[in-house]
Amino acid sequence: METGIQALLAPLVVSIVALILMMQIAFKRHAIVSWLLGCTGFILAILALKPMADIVPKMVTPLLLSDQYSLFFSALILFSGLITTLLAKDYLQNRRGENEEFYLLLLLSSLGAMILVSATHVASFLLGMELLGVALYALIAYPERGQLPLEAAIKYLILSGAASAILLFGFALIYAVLGTLSFVGIGQALTQPILEDQQLLILLGTAMVFTGIGFKLSLVPFHMWTPDVYQGAPVPVTGFLATVSKGAIFAALLRLFIDAELYQYQGLMLSLSVLAIASMLAGNLLALKQDNLKRILAYSSIAHIGYLFITLIVYGVLQQPGLAVEAATFYLSAYIITSLAAFSLLSIISSNISETDLDDISHIQGLFWRQPMLALMLTIALLSLAGIPLTVGFIGKFYIFTAGIEGSLWVLLAALIIGSGISIYYYLRIVFQMTMKEPAGGSGAANMDPNSVRLSVLSKFVVWLLIFMMLYLGVLPQTLMEYLGGLSL
Amino acid sequence: MLQNIWLIPLLPFVSSVLLILTAGRLPRRLIAIMGAGSVGLSALIVLAVGMQFMELQTPYSLTLWVWMQVGNFAPGFSFYIDQLTVVMLSVITGVGFLIHLYSTEFMQDDSDYSRYFAYMNMFVAAMLILVMADNLLLLYLGWEGVGVCSYLLVGFWYKDPVNGAASRKAFVVTRVGDTAMALGLFLLFTELGTLQIQPMLEAANSRWVTGDTIPAIAALLLLGGAVGKSAQLPLHTWLPDAMAGPTPVSALIHAATMVTAGVYLIARTHGLFLLAPDVLMLVALVGLFTLLLAAFTALNQTDIKRILAYSTISQIGYMFLALGVGAWSAGIFHLMTHAFFKALLFLGAGAVVHCLHHEQNIFKMGGLRSKLPIVFWSFLIGSAALAALPFTSGFFSKDQILLSAFELHGTTGISLWIGPWLWAGGLVGAILTAIYSFRLVFIVFYGEAKTEPDRQPGWRMAAPLSLLCILSLIGGYFVLPLASVFPTVAQHQVSHLVEGISISIPLIGVLIAWLVYYKHSLPVEGFTESSLGKALRNFWYSGWAMDKLYDTIIVKPYTGTANAMRGEWLDRIYHGIVSLCQGSHALLSRTQGGKMRWYATSMVFGLIILVTLLGWVS
Repeated sequence: METGIQALLAPLVVSIVALILMMQIAFKRHAIVSWLLGCTGFILAILALKPMADIVPKMVTPLLLSDQYSLFFSALILFSGLITTLLAKDYLQNRRGENEEFYLLLLLSSLGAMILVSATHVASFLLGMELLGVALYALIAYPERGQLPLEAAIKYLILSGAASAILLFGFALIYAVLGTLSFVGIGQALTQPILEDQQLLILLGTAMVFTGIGFKLSLVPFHMWTPDVYQGAPVPVTGFLATVSKGAIFAALLRLFIDAELYQYQGLMLSLSVLAIASMLAGNLLALKQDNLKRILAYSSIAHIGYLFITLIVYGVLQQPGLAVEAATFYLSAYIITSLAAFSLLSIISSNISETDLDDISHIQGLFWRQPMLALMLTIALLSLAGIPLTVGFIGKFYIFTAGIEGSLWVLLAALIIGSGISIYYYLRIVFQMTMKEPAGGSGAANMDPNSVRLSVLSKFVVWLLIFMMLYLGVLPQTLMEYLGGLSL
Repeated sequence: MLQNIWLIPLLPFVSSVLLILTAGRLPRRLIAIMGAGSVGLSALIVLAVGMQFMELQTPYSLTLWVWMQVGNFAPGFSFYIDQLTVVMLSVITGVGFLIHLYSTEFMQDDSDYSRYFAYMNMFVAAMLILVMADNLLLLYLGWEGVGVCSYLLVGFWYKDPVNGAASRKAFVVTRVGDTAMALGLFLLFTELGTLQIQPMLEAANSRWVTGDTIPAIAALLLLGGAVGKSAQLPLHTWLPDAMAGPTPVSALIHAATMVTAGVYLIARTHGLFLLAPDVLMLVALVGLFTLLLAAFTALNQTDIKRILAYSTISQIGYMFLALGVGAWSAGIFHLMTHAFFKALLFLGAGAVVHCLHHEQNIFKMGGLRSKLPIVFWSFLIGSAALAALPFTSGFFSKDQILLSAFELHGTTGISLWIGPWLWAGGLVGAILTAIYSFRLVFIVFYGEAKTEPDRQPGWRMAAPLSLLCILSLIGGYFVLPLASVFPTVAQHQVSHLVEGISISIPLIGVLIAWLVYYKHSLPVEGFTESSLGKALRNFWYSGWAMDKLYDTIIVKPYTGTANAMRGEWLDRIYHGIVSLCQGSHALLSRTQGGKMRWYATSMVFGLIILVTLLGWVS
C-alpha cells in the first residue's frame, strides 16, 4: 500500500492542497494567500514526481497505472497549471470579483487531467475526464462581468455534457458485448470471435466513443463549440483548456488506442483518416480571414489535432511503431509549450489595459513599435505554431512528417502540407498587423502609452521561460527526443 | 584549446544578439568594445588554436550536439578543423578584427551604430560557422547566414531606395546560385546518404570513378552556388552594386571573406571535383573569363569603390583559375593575400571617402599624396600587391597560379593543350591589373588637388591600415601548411623565360599607367576620343553591358510575360486557388453561427457519418 501512495504522490499532493485551499477560502478570503497556495500545490506536485519516478511502472488498483508515460504528461500538466496560475494573478488583479476559487478550480482540473493520463480503465478515464471538465465549466464562466464568458460556459456545459453522455453510452454498449472495461481487456476481447448481431453493437459503441472523444479534442465535425468557447473564456483559461484539457485527453486516447490495439481495425483507421483530413483542412480554412485572435488560435487548434491524428493512424503501419508514439508525444509537448506561450502573451497584453480581453487583431496593430519585445515573442510563438525551423514547432511537424512518410500515408501528408501552407497566411497576417503603423486614433494596445503596459517580474519570467524553451527545443531537441524515445506504452 | 573552438563563432554571435536585444540603448563606447572586442577575442582563440594545430597536424572534429535524429537523418552541430579551416579562420577573425576596429571610427557619426555592429558580428559568426562546419547542412546554414547579413549590410542605409535596390539585387542574384547549391546537396544526400563532408567525399570516391555523370552534375550544382557567392560569371553582376553599403562592409564581406566562400567550397569538396575533370576545367575557364572581363571593366570605372569591386571579381577569377588547374594551395594562398591587400585598399578607399565629404568619383580627387600620407602609403602598398609587383604578397600567390596554369598537364580533352593559353590569359589580366591599380594611385594621389580633406583618419583607422600594409608586404612569405589537405602538386619546372615574363608583365603595366596617367605622354586620347574608343569605353564602363543583357534577356521577358499573363488562364489558376480558399472559408464560417442547436446537430451528424463509415468498411 505504501508504494501505492508513493506511486500516486503527485495527484495526492494536489488533492490535499486543494482541500487546504478550500478551507482557507471558507474561513478567510485572501487572494494572495490563495494564489500562493495554488502555486505551492503545483510546485510540490512537480517535486513529488521525483519519488514517483523511482518506483514506476506501478499499477495502483486496476484503474490507474503510474509509468514513465503518465509521469511525463503529469509533469506537462502541472507545468501548464503552474504557468496559468502565475499569469492569472496579474490577469485577475485588474478585474473585479473574488479570485480565490479560480486557483482551487485550476488545481481540481489538473487533478482530473493527471488521472486521465494514468487511466488504464474506462472508469478512471471517465472520472478524470469529468473532473477535468466540470472544473473547466466554472473556470470558463469565472469573470463576473460580461456576457461572453457565461455564454461560452453554458454552451460548453451542454454540449460537453451531451458528448460525455454519448461517450458513456458507447462504452456501455461495448461493455454489454465484451464484459470488460479495462483497456487491455477490451483489446483482448475484441480479438475473440464476436457474434454477427453483436458486432453492430461494437460498431455503434466505437462510433459513439470516438464522437465523445472527438468532441473534447475538437475534431471536425465535432469542433463547432471550439471558437465560441475559446473566445468567451478568459485568456488564461483558454490557454489552460487548449493545453491541459486537450493534451491530457489525447494522451489518454493514445494509451487506449495502443492498449486496446485499435490500430489494427481498417475501418476505424479509415474513419479517423477522414476526420483528420477534414480537421486539417477545415481548421485552417476557418482561421483564414478570422479577426479574433482567440478564434484564430481555436481554429488552428482544430488543425493541430488533425496533424496529431496522423500519428495514431500511422501507428499500425509502421515497422517500428515507437516512432509514432515519439512523434505524438513530441508534437504534443511542442504544441503545449507553444500554445502556453501564445496565450500567456495574449493574457499579458490584455491584463494591463482593459477589463475585457484585447483579442481582436486590430488591438495589436502596431504593437511592434510600442512593445517590440512582446511583439517579437508573439512572433516567435506564431512561427512555432506554423512550424518554422529553429522553433520547437518545426521539429514536431518534421517528426509527424517523417512518421507519415515511413508509413506511406500520402493523402494525409498532402492534407498536412496544404493545411500548413494555408496556416502560414493567417499566422503571418498577425505578425504583419503587429508591424504596421498604428491607425490614427484607433483603440488598442498600441495606442496606449507604452509605459502603461507594465510587465510584472512574474509575467516577464513566465514568457521568457516559454520563449527560451521553444527556441532551445528547436535547436537542441535531441535530449527530449531521446527521453521520449524511451517512454514505453 | 582545441575543445574550445566552439567559442570562436559563439563570441561574435552572443555580442550580436546582445546588440540586437538592447537595440541601441547601450553607450557607444560599450557597443564599440563589444563589436570589435568579440571578434578580437575570437582572433586570439584562433591564434592559440593555430599554434596548437601546428604541432598536432591531424584534423580535429568536435560534435557539439546532434540537431535531431529522425530515421537516418541526423545532422550534427559539428565542427571540423584542418589546416584549410585554420587558414580561413585566421583570415576571417584577423582581417575581420582589423576591419571592426576601423569601423568603430568610420561609423562614429552614424545614428545606427549599434545596428551596424550587430549585423557585422552576426556576419562574422555565420562566416565562421560556414568554414568550420563538418557537414554541408551546417555549411549551408552559414552560407545563408552570410547572405542575409550581406543583404542587411548592403542596404544598411535603407532610407535611400537605391541602396535597397542594390541589396535586393545582391540577394536575388546569389539566390540563383544558392538554389543550385541546395539541389546539389539534395543530390549528394540522396546518392550518398550523408552530408558529412569527409565521409561523403570518401563515399563518392569509392562509389564513382572519374568521369561519371552524377558526380559531374553534383559538382556543377555546387559550382553554381560558388559562382553566385563569389561573383563569378555569369552571376557576378550583384557585386559592383553591393558597394552601396558602408565601405568597411565592402572590405570585410565583399572583398576579404564572404565572396571567397565559393573558393572555399570548391577547395573543401575538391575530392568531388576531381571526379569530374570537365567541371574542373569549367572552373578554370569561368575564372579566366571573369578575370579578363572584370579587369577591362575596372579600367574604365570612375567610382573608387566600383574599381575595387571589379578588381575583386577579377582577383577571385584568379582563385577560380587556380582551383580549376588543380593548384589548390595556390588558390587558397591567393585568397589569403588578396584578403590582406584588398581589405587594405578598401579601407584606404573608405578613408579617402570619409575625409573627402563622401566623394567617390576619382576624377574629383587628386593630389592627396601629401594631404593624407597614411592613406597614400596604404594605397601604394595595396596597389603594388594587387598588381603583383615583385616581393609583395600578391606577387608570390599570383605567380604560383600563373605557373601552375602554364604547367597544366591534363589527360583528356582541352586540358591537354590549354595550359599555356590559360597562362597567357592570366598575363593579360595581370597587365590590366597593374594598369588599373596604378591609374587609381596616380589620379587620386598625384596631380592637382580638387577636393580638400576636412579631417585626418584617427588611430583606430590608421592602425588597421598600417597592420594591413605590413601583411600585404610580408604575407607572401607565410608558408601555408596545406600539404596534407590537398593532393600533392609537382614542383614547378618552367623555363626562366616563362618566369621572367611573369615577373616583368606587371612592371610593364605600371610603366604604362605612369606614362598615361602621370606623365600624360602617351597619345592615348587619339584613340579614346575616337568613336570606336568611346563606344568601347562605354561598353566596358557598363561592365560589358551585362546588366543590360540580363535586363533584356531575363528581366524584361519575365516581367513582360508576367504582365501579358495578367488575367490569363495561368493566372486564373492561382486566383482560383485563392477564391477556393476564400469561398471555403466563407462557407465554413457560416456554420459557426453561434447557435447551439446547430452545433448539437452537427455533432449528431458527425456520429452518423462515423457509424456509416465504420459500417461501410466492415
